[in-house]
Amino acid sequence: MILKRVKNVVWLASRDYRNEWQMSGFYLLALAAVLGPMMILFGLKFGIIGSLLGNLIEDPRNREIHPVGSGRYDSAWIEQLRKRSEIDFIIPRTRSIAATMQLKSDISSRIVTVEMISTDHGDPLLQGFTIPKGLRQLVLSASAAGKLNVARGDRISGSLSRRFNGKSERVHLELTLVDVAPAGSFPRDGAFVSLALLETAEDFRDGRAVPSLGWTGDIDDKPRSYPGFRLYTRSIYDVAPISKALEKIGIEVRTRAADIEIVSDMDRNLTAVFWVIAVIGLVGFSFSLGASLWANVDRKRKELSVLRLVGFRTGDIVWFPVIQSFYTAALGWVMASLIFLGVAHLINRMFTDQLERGDNVCQLLPEHFLIAFGLTIASAFLAAGMAGYRAARIEPSEGLREI
Amino acid sequence: MRVPSLQIALGEKIALIGESGCGKSTLLDMLSMTLRPSKIGSFRFRPERGADPVNVAELWRKKRLNKLGDLRRLRIGYVMQTGGLLPYLTVRENIGLSRRLLDMPDDDLVETLAADLGIRRQLDKLPHLLSVGERQRVAIGRALAHRPSIVIADEPTASLDPITAERIMSLFIELVDELNITVIIASHAWRHINRLGLRHLSHRTRKKRNGSMTETVVTG
Repeated sequence: MILKRVKNVVWLASRDYRNEWQMSGFYLLALAAVLGPMMILFGLKFGIIGSLLGNLIEDPRNREIHPVGSGRYDSAWIEQLRKRSEIDFIIPRTRSIAATMQLKSDISSRIVTVEMISTDHGDPLLQGFTIPKGLRQLVLSASAAGKLNVARGDRISGSLSRRFNGKSERVHLELTLVDVAPAGSFPRDGAFVSLALLETAEDFRDGRAVPSLGWTGDIDDKPRSYPGFRLYTRSIYDVAPISKALEKIGIEVRTRAADIEIVSDMDRNLTAVFWVIAVIGLVGFSFSLGASLWANVDRKRKELSVLRLVGFRTGDIVWFPVIQSFYTAALGWVMASLIFLGVAHLINRMFTDQLERGDNVCQLLPEHFLIAFGLTIASAFLAAGMAGYRAARIEPSEGLREI
Repeated sequence: MRVPSLQIALGEKIALIGESGCGKSTLLDMLSMTLRPSKIGSFRFRPERGADPVNVAELWRKKRLNKLGDLRRLRIGYVMQTGGLLPYLTVRENIGLSRRLLDMPDDDLVETLAADLGIRRQLDKLPHLLSVGERQRVAIGRALAHRPSIVIADEPTASLDPITAERIMSLFIELVDELNITVIIASHAWRHINRLGLRHLSHRTRKKRNGSMTETVVTG
């Protein structure tokens, strides 16, 4: 029964709305004019800050904590740190002076000196690339691979030299290039190698023997200590607490925390600005729709009282402005969404050249559209509620005659 | 306004004639259960022959406004001074509105009424395309379409020229007669009302003893 009555009100309200399509059209244009720019503004904020943040999050260098100077860390200490949940990847490195190697390929006549970087499974800089293992594999940085004119699978001969017992010595090592890392991972001439190879190079440089490769030297059983490590936290938000913890135990570190801080500050401030604009816009729209619905009740007083006269209940009449404002909100939202999609497309096309692939200057997620819809409906209903309350107070006898 | 006693029989045709401002509308509002009398002795309404009378006075006292609304919707038809048609519905939908709200099945009554009222060709038009006289015919059709027990008409022909007014009024009375519906009409154009055989309600206006107010007393 209630359903039946509501159905009748819906029918009448819809017919009225359609009959006054010009008036209704203006209301929904007015809504689209408020909502559309708001969506574009938020799309810009979300798109720009989103890609900035995305870059920050995606770029592993922003998650790196770099110890300054050299210390003495043993494997047990490193192992302990690795167990912390905030840490994504940690690997010790050897003294940098001992971590260089000269490379030569068959194709190129150049000899390139590269820095060796320790790596292992899970290295954020080699995400999606083959990880070199053992003493015979390496991954070159793009710049080194370019200079050597080599590609994946090529053979490269490496050589290490030292002064030992007063004479110069040089050893050679046949290596296989298992992959080439992009310039983003390491911009200089570099070679990602296993920790074992780095330790071997260091041993050789320091005059110790490497029996597995037949390199002679002193025998030394002292436990190894490392001067530093490569450390990446799981997210950019873990950088601050881990660096604090390290600084507490006397390890000075360098991070990109300042960059991260700038972007998240910008995000916070722009979000606040956006909400101020959004609230002003929606409240303004709500009031203007409220005023027009309110005036509608006056304009349609006679018709509404006729409805009361033919037996509509007080509660049914309230639905009249509510249903009509729902139409305005829903259609206005659709129109605003279309405006947004069109403008966003244009803006993104204008900025194509300045953008990395897949990045958008102006974009919204599906849930943002839903939130916009919810807010619009809510403010429209708020406006309609006032008008509905007024409509419900119309006396049926008013319909009997002219006032 | 005071109504010491008033009885209207089922199927009776009542005319309420008087100058404007003498309280006709007030009485109609009370009879149509839209205006609450400031003091009620007894007010009973028998919806159809043989039915138990509804105690309207009691409903007013208990403020059962929705119950009164239901009673209005089911039992009473109204013809307003100027149509009171919904501008967004076609003539057919306007006439059928009360039937629709009562969930009554479609029968030929809407068509028949339209034919009798001479507006059959206008059925699918919107009211603003009709002349004032045609609109008033539509209003009469709507008041009758759900076969109410009573039709209440407040100056139904006031906005029409005398010739059209007379024609529409006779048509109205004919239809009411045919459907055996009680009718109460308020009008100041009493000349042709006389010819239609309506019972006049007597009312007189007098000054109250202290002279500050006039009082209309209706009996019949």
